[in-house]
Amino acid sequence: MKRFFSTYLLFALSLSIYAQDNLSIQFDYANTLYKTGQYFDAITEFKRLLFFSPQKKYSYDANILIGKCYKAGAKFDDAIKYFSVAELNTNSAEQKIEAKFQIVRANILRRTTNRALEILNELEKEISQKQLLDSVNYWKGWSYIFADNWKEASAAFGKIKSNHELKKLCDQIENDKVSVTFTKVISYILPGSGQIYTGNILPGLMSFGWNILGGYLTVNSFVEDRVFDGAVIGSLIWLRFYRGNIQGAENSAIQKNIDISNKALRFLQFEYKGAKP
Amino acid sequence: MRTIAVILLLFPYLIFSQTDWVKWEAKQISYEQKREIIPSSSANGLGTKLASGLQKVYKFFISDLDGDNCPFYPSCSTFFVESVNETGLIKGSLMFADRFIRDLNFFKGSNDYPKHVSGKYYDPAYNYTLISQKIKYFTGDSVVKE
Amino acid sequence: MILLLKNKVISQNLICLIILVFFFQGKIFSQQINGLNLGASPESYSAASDGELYPILSSAEAEREGGLKDNLLSTGNRLKFADYLFQQEDYLRALNEYREFLRYEDNDSVRYRLAESFFRIGRFNEAADNFKGLFFGSDLSDEAILGFYKSSFFKGNYKEFRELTATPIYMPDKYVTEINRLYFISHFMDNTLPYDTAKLFTAFPDSNRQEVKNFYRSRKFSEYKSPVTAALLSVAIPGLGKVYAGEVGDGITSFITTGLLVFLSVNNFDHDHNFRGWLFAGMAALSYGGTIYGSAASAQIYNAGIKFNLDNEIKLYFEKRNYFLPKLEF
Repeated sequence: MKRFFSTYLLFALSLSIYAQDNLSIQFDYANTLYKTGQYFDAITEFKRLLFFSPQKKYSYDANILIGKCYKAGAKFDDAIKYFSVAELNTNSAEQKIEAKFQIVRANILRRTTNRALEILNELEKEISQKQLLDSVNYWKGWSYIFADNWKEASAAFGKIKSNHELKKLCDQIENDKVSVTFTKVISYILPGSGQIYTGNILPGLMSFGWNILGGYLTVNSFVEDRVFDGAVIGSLIWLRFYRGNIQGAENSAIQKNIDISNKALRFLQFEYKGAKP
Repeated sequence: MRTIAVILLLFPYLIFSQTDWVKWEAKQISYEQKREIIPSSSANGLGTKLASGLQKVYKFFISDLDGDNCPFYPSCSTFFVESVNETGLIKGSLMFADRFIRDLNFFKGSNDYPKHVSGKYYDPAYNYTLISQKIKYFTGDSVVKE
Repeated sequence: MILLLKNKVISQNLICLIILVFFFQGKIFSQQINGLNLGASPESYSAASDGELYPILSSAEAEREGGLKDNLLSTGNRLKFADYLFQQEDYLRALNEYREFLRYEDNDSVRYRLAESFFRIGRFNEAADNFKGLFFGSDLSDEAILGFYKSSFFKGNYKEFRELTATPIYMPDKYVTEINRLYFISHFMDNTLPYDTAKLFTAFPDSNRQEVKNFYRSRKFSEYKSPVTAALLSVAIPGLGKVYAGEVGDGITSFITTGLLVFLSVNNFDHDHNFRGWLFAGMAALSYGGTIYGSAASAQIYNAGIKFNLDNEIKLYFEKRNYFLPKLEF
């Protein structure tokens, strides 16, 4: 009887080792596809692994990697779906947090930064470790950057370290940006000045010229008692270009700010070495 | 009309299920904010060159400076260039005259134009060439992204 | 397994042998993987899927746990996985698995599912070709022929589809009504309805006949506006053509604009302002011409609107009823 049990044990053991091998080989294969950038095929193989893996051993890893594949294909809705499945299949608190960070990063890239911030705020309440809190603030900063809110982004990076590299960048961008309200206000006072202030010198001068001309013609008509002419020229030419000048100033200020943001975003995408969403 | 609305509501879901129905490759998205896309008209033919030249002068001297006045997308000047490009100088001018009069109409809202994503009335030149195959019809409650 | 082990005749040697066989099995699999060779040689597949190699494990445990005892890429497992993908509507992946399966085993039901996968992701040409392969000598030939016509219909070239039905390769008795009905639906889709309606309406079930009749009537007798009439009306009175085409506001604006420009022109000529007179005359002419042109264009757009709405309504109606096609279980 003893002999029977020992042989049975040996057999059962060999079976389980073999089983594990078979699935882990499949996992490695799928992972290789993922690493070599064959994301569509990698998803197929991860799905195969999940389908045949009886004890849900790979539920977390495979779903996270499927999510990463979709993310690499810029299919963020699907990525978030699989990260969420992974979150439901976690074995430890760390894995759960990691899955949440993945969801946050996909949300940032999808530009649904409000959702990202929501998740991060919930996460912030749950954890106390300094290192994790730093991560939360780091991704908060990125969320704010993608929401074009450089001030809040700077504050978030500042909570990690007062001289954080990205905090400095955000501060500088915030500094470089022009105030849209200020640009509009100076245009109300002196037509064309807003556009000149934001660097569009020629259109600014042209706008100034039209306003001078319109103003001169209008005033001249009224002075010479041609009231009808004055009203027509005033409303059709002067007022039109005066309003246009303010609109133009606002647009060029907005455009300038977009240019400044985009320059920083290009830097972050292609030159910045730290973790990116 | 209600059924169409229901279909439109279901549309995102349909797209979602279709993600993997065509094999896709890795794709990098740009971090940059999107700018306004300014459609560049490809100038071929003398008429189009003339029209787009006129448009450039008009844009530089007047249109860029007097604010955003045109309620249509594409704007009247772009419509002119596009219609000359599609048909020719004479027919294009007639199309432009017609567009200009429609612009003068104070009650455009009752015309049931589709909306463009920019919030303007969508009124492309290709619908007015008198070639019925070219007409792309959009219902008044649809939003066009072209 | 326990039976065998209980039988003390079996020596430890035999068990060792079995373990060795398993180990060997794993070796083959890992070689395939390392070489990234998905389409491994048929020999390796048949060795892996040969059920007789595992007399002991043949006790039917949970089927899906095939991964435990079997190569994940064996034909049997491939099929299970493919069916799972098909269920999940992941048709492109499913059809790749079906195709891989069919390289090693022939199975009509799998070939049908392959064609159906193509159909469901809208690759109708490939679907039709694959259905065609099942026309003869198959239990599913009737369904395959229906599938073939279905795919041809959805390609959208209705004229070609009708030609196919006119020269029946082989028309199954089982589905002749469905295919016949598709034939008439195709007439609705591309607006080529026949005048002889005797056969047309009987092709549809009683409960839907009235609606189909209504569609027929709207298709045949829609109130279109004539662009020529619109243009001529505007020649007579600027803007009248636009009113006719339904754009009342534009019509009135055209009338006022053209009238005003003509007045300004005449007025300036009267006061000997010849340049301004000609300028306004040119503008008036352009406005007049534009109005005539625009009236014709408006009528066309009006017609396009009617056609668009009707097309949509008809399409939705048939789509909602799945084109009266039977739902097949396979």
